[in-house]
Amino acid sequence: MMGFPGSLRRAALVLCLALSACSESPPSSGFAGLDEQADAGEFAQPAPGDRLRFPEDFGPHPRHRIEWWYLTANLTTDQGEPLGLQWTQFRQALVARDADAPAPAANRWPMEAGWMAHAAVSFREQHGFAEKLARGDIGQAGATAEPFNVWLDDWHLQALEEGQWRLQVNGEGWSYDLRLTVQREPVAHGDHGFSAKSASGEGSMYFSLVNLAIAGEVTLNGEVHRVSGLGWFDREWSSQFLKAGQQGWDWFALHLDGGYKLMAFRLREDEGAFVSGSWINANGDVESLGAGDLLLEPAGWQTSQHGRVPAQWRLRIPPHEVDLLIEAPAGDYWNNGLFPYWESPVSVTGSHGGVGYMELTGYGG
Amino acid sequence: MTEPVIRVTHLSKRFAGAGDTVTVLSELSFSLPDGGSLALTGRSGSGKSTLLNLLCGLETPDQGEVQAFGETFPAAGGRSPKAASERWARLRRRDIGVVFQDANLMPALSLGDNVRFRARLAGQTQASSAHWLAQLGIGELADRYPDQVSGGQRQRAALAMVFAMKPGLILADEPTGSLDHHTADAVADSLFSLQQSTGCGLILATHDPALAARCQYRLDLGHDQPVLTASSAAPSPS
Amino acid sequence: MTLFVALFSHYRRHPLQLLALALMIVLATTLWTGVSNLTERARASLAQSERAVAGQQQLVRVDGQAVSVRDFAVLRRQGLCVMPWLEVRRPAPAGRVIGVDPFAGGCFGDQVPGQAGGDALIGEPFLDIGDAAALVDQDNPGTLSLLVPVTVLPAELPPGYELKDFSLGPATGELGESFLLNLDALGVLVLLITALLVRSVYQMGRVQRRESFALLARFGVPPGRVQRLLLMEMVVLAALCVLPGIWLGRWLAAVLGGGFGQALEGLFDTPLYAVEGGGFALPAVVMVTMVLVACFTDQRLWAKLPGVSAAGPSLWLAMLFLGVVMVGVTPGLTWLFTGIALVFVAVGVLTPRLLSASAQWWSDRAGGLVLWQRRELAVLFRRLALPVVALQFAVAMVLAVQALVTTFEDTFEAWLAQRLEAEFYVEVPDAARAADGVRYLASRTELGDWHLVQRGTARLSAAAGSGAPVEVDLFAIAPIGPLVTGWTLQTSVADAWSKLAAGEGVMVNEQLARREGLKPGDSLGLTVGGQAREFAILGVYADYGRPAGEILAAGQRLPQAFRPQFESLSMNPGDVTMTEIEQGLTEVWNAGKLTVRDNRSIQALASGVFDQTFLLTRAITVLTLVLAGTSLLMMGWVFFSSRAWYYRLLSV
Repeated sequence: MMGFPGSLRRAALVLCLALSACSESPPSSGFAGLDEQADAGEFAQPAPGDRLRFPEDFGPHPRHRIEWWYLTANLTTDQGEPLGLQWTQFRQALVARDADAPAPAANRWPMEAGWMAHAAVSFREQHGFAEKLARGDIGQAGATAEPFNVWLDDWHLQALEEGQWRLQVNGEGWSYDLRLTVQREPVAHGDHGFSAKSASGEGSMYFSLVNLAIAGEVTLNGEVHRVSGLGWFDREWSSQFLKAGQQGWDWFALHLDGGYKLMAFRLREDEGAFVSGSWINANGDVESLGAGDLLLEPAGWQTSQHGRVPAQWRLRIPPHEVDLLIEAPAGDYWNNGLFPYWESPVSVTGSHGGVGYMELTGYGG
Repeated sequence: MTEPVIRVTHLSKRFAGAGDTVTVLSELSFSLPDGGSLALTGRSGSGKSTLLNLLCGLETPDQGEVQAFGETFPAAGGRSPKAASERWARLRRRDIGVVFQDANLMPALSLGDNVRFRARLAGQTQASSAHWLAQLGIGELADRYPDQVSGGQRQRAALAMVFAMKPGLILADEPTGSLDHHTADAVADSLFSLQQSTGCGLILATHDPALAARCQYRLDLGHDQPVLTASSAAPSPS
Repeated sequence: MTLFVALFSHYRRHPLQLLALALMIVLATTLWTGVSNLTERARASLAQSERAVAGQQQLVRVDGQAVSVRDFAVLRRQGLCVMPWLEVRRPAPAGRVIGVDPFAGGCFGDQVPGQAGGDALIGEPFLDIGDAAALVDQDNPGTLSLLVPVTVLPAELPPGYELKDFSLGPATGELGESFLLNLDALGVLVLLITALLVRSVYQMGRVQRRESFALLARFGVPPGRVQRLLLMEMVVLAALCVLPGIWLGRWLAAVLGGGFGQALEGLFDTPLYAVEGGGFALPAVVMVTMVLVACFTDQRLWAKLPGVSAAGPSLWLAMLFLGVVMVGVTPGLTWLFTGIALVFVAVGVLTPRLLSASAQWWSDRAGGLVLWQRRELAVLFRRLALPVVALQFAVAMVLAVQALVTTFEDTFEAWLAQRLEAEFYVEVPDAARAADGVRYLASRTELGDWHLVQRGTARLSAAAGSGAPVEVDLFAIAPIGPLVTGWTLQTSVADAWSKLAAGEGVMVNEQLARREGLKPGDSLGLTVGGQAREFAILGVYADYGRPAGEILAAGQRLPQAFRPQFESLSMNPGDVTMTEIEQGLTEVWNAGKLTVRDNRSIQALASGVFDQTFLLTRAITVLTLVLAGTSLLMMGWVFFSSRAWYYRLLSV
């Protein structure tokens, strides 16, 4: 997922400034601070040639500034109604730290990293969202690779046994408790996991679990719904994602007929855009897509609480004869946290049918 | 004979003295025609000043009534004394100029300002203080303050103030009483010549027989039954 | 030449009078605005400090251990809304800060503790908890509390924790109340004195203008109209003078606010918050009203009041008597202040009458020129009644303020002396054992008095009727010696100190005794180090307003399980140098640099800070006194100059 880490930094900064405790870093100018320059010798920056390592890469990367664990799910209730879910946890470091360096003492209430968790449920055109914040290194929030566990307060995504995870979230008036079954090996995007985010080489390490089987319960206003369906899990980390002038992104993760999976994103620049994606077949074979073979453009706009958003898209991959119309269902899908963005389930028609998730940032006010 | 500017009918005034009351005026009746001049004479305590005060509403009679400028003012105990005092105040502001023996000027105003101020109170907004001060022979003192000029000059200024308001009646209590003989004559000359040229009524209280003799009428309050007499025709018995 | 101009021309001829009046109004406004601004800020600060913790509850561990960041994380991960609140006490002038975690407050919604309007937990005294934690060291102890929303019920708690009222903030009680009442009284007095002074200056001018008013009446100008114009004249003058006065008053408050804030903090642990000055409207209205009332209240009004004229001096004497009785017997502060106000008014009214009457009496016993001279004196006294009363009030205010400052200073110094009884104070390092230090000190016979202080917490067993157990500070002292036996005991059993040394009971501080209704001889249930025991109360010692409940016990007699949070050795070095003791302790503790505090210098510093604090009140009283004196001189001068011709006549 092209997530939202900058907002955490921004939130931390706002809070820091408000508390006049750590005002030395000026607020970033670009969107969500994602174009924050990596300090030389401090934060590590992914580069082509970097490789993924498992299971370590399921855990945190303290040498990097930003990372997230991100899950979207296209589920169906036992009544047959579609229900979309999202859960994301971000880590935003203010200080770089070697992976084997000891963490600062918890009783000093360190502020070397902040954590933020987002959770949303979309059902019957309604969209519920919740956000939680915590400082790192005091135990309130964190992540471990083995056993796999990502938590903030009582929200957590946790490995139960090999290939079995549990996700629990409690929002205001809603909650969910899901079992996730990992069915395929992780998919590395870009160059063995290095996913370029601009023509000049900024990028992130990025892999996904694209075919999670999910079952569990979603409670909405006291009503328990049994749900099941497909999930998509992303891990991504970097110290600098965007270069100056990139305004936001449009990101898609789609489950298509025939077991095909598609990840595609477009980073909007002052002139033009940087487009990239991954075409994954049912066997898990990945083909990286670049500007030449991935065409992505808005097909329809919707007026929402924060202004106009492109709720319909046309996506084409000519080499594979893919031509898709991607549409958000009726409704308003803004995640109104510290930094609002659009996050909605989508349905896919055209050359392939399917479902998926769409994230749009940098739109509206 | 013209309409009287002031008419007094059965006027009595008593004051509370030590232990009993002292009757100062009793059953006094007279009237003064418009433009006429009247001298009030009599020894000290005979009621000259009291009568002047009664004639301009600064005091209220115990019995009888005063008619002035066509209005009737009843004795104490009459209806709406507040309205009566307001009517008197209006008359004093516009129609009746009062000159006392002393302290006729606002101490904080220059002589010129005093004249202008008094005229303005009377509604004479166009009055020229320079003209009236010159008429009384103190034109050059317009910028002086009352405590910077002599007693005679102050009395002249007081007369200038009174004439500047173009009154129908002037009441003067010993206007020359505190002045030396020479100055008193000069002030009196100014007073009478201006009174004649403006044609206003004049009632003055005085001990000075010469001054009294210059008035058309005379009322000797020293008598048990004071009667208005014509000065020139019938000189006073004293 | 309108009537208004004619009236106002009085001041054109007497510009000094106008200047004096204007100056008086400006100064009056400055003083009152200054005092009320600071009072307002002090009141807001105390209120905010109380509100910050009012109605909050906290979680404590059932085992009596202090909560830590671990507890916080554990509770949060169980889904409980908990917020950390780290209070760091620093010696003045740095003052208290509170560390909060802005990330953790979200679940409190709009019930965030300390929230005032939109400025939730921002700015002094609030810091990010990380920055606050960085300040914590041996000199600046920190206390962590875990706050929970009031909506959390005991049933929702995980095992091992219980709910407790959160009142870390000082319950300033009567001391704070009296502080504010003193300031209020100061404000009222300033208003009263300046009103009298304004009146005396105005009346002086008014007497001079009496001739003009009489003349205007002869000219037929209705007196009501003159009165209205005079009123308008004063409204304009007051409005013109009040604005710069308010500005000056705020400036005064700002300049002196620093020292004042330190006093507040030193006395009540409450920093002086910067609050909006309350605008210009209130002081403007108050001062213009004061000026108008002072200038236009008819003195005969008093006489017209039914009963007053008939009663005469006896009414005032009765008021004086009532005031004295109230001061003598009243239990409450408000009544005390009312009583004092009655005495003031009565004395104020009676004084000029008394002076005048005695001058009269005196003059009746003389003849000729002496009679005249004494009569003159009597007149002078009557004329000068107002400024004399003002001066009298001003003197009374100086005395009152002096008494106020002295009282607070004495309290403060007694408190300091109690806490800083010994000359030096050595902290026991974390890694060291206090017992080793004690053994070393015991071996140095030439050393002066010394003792070990162990500070920890204990819990009062739930008293009958009261719900949650009360946590109190426990001071364990050993040996019990002259350093502590000099403390002032309010009540005690016989031989209290030796019984304390023998472990036959404990002492409690005044606050705790009052709050829990304890008296010597009572039995007190205490949980110390997890063990519940009964202790006899041997005495109640003065705490000089420290709000926390305290228990004083003999160190050797406490349960072994008692874990002090802080240990220190207090000592008078006697014939040994402090350097030598320090060396010896460093050796037995095998420690690096020891933290040694020289209590005498701390005391001097604290007193210095304190002195600065009452600069404002002293400045105000002196200013008022000067004002009253000047006014009196001015009136006297006018009086004598208006009679100069008379005296000249006499000398001819």
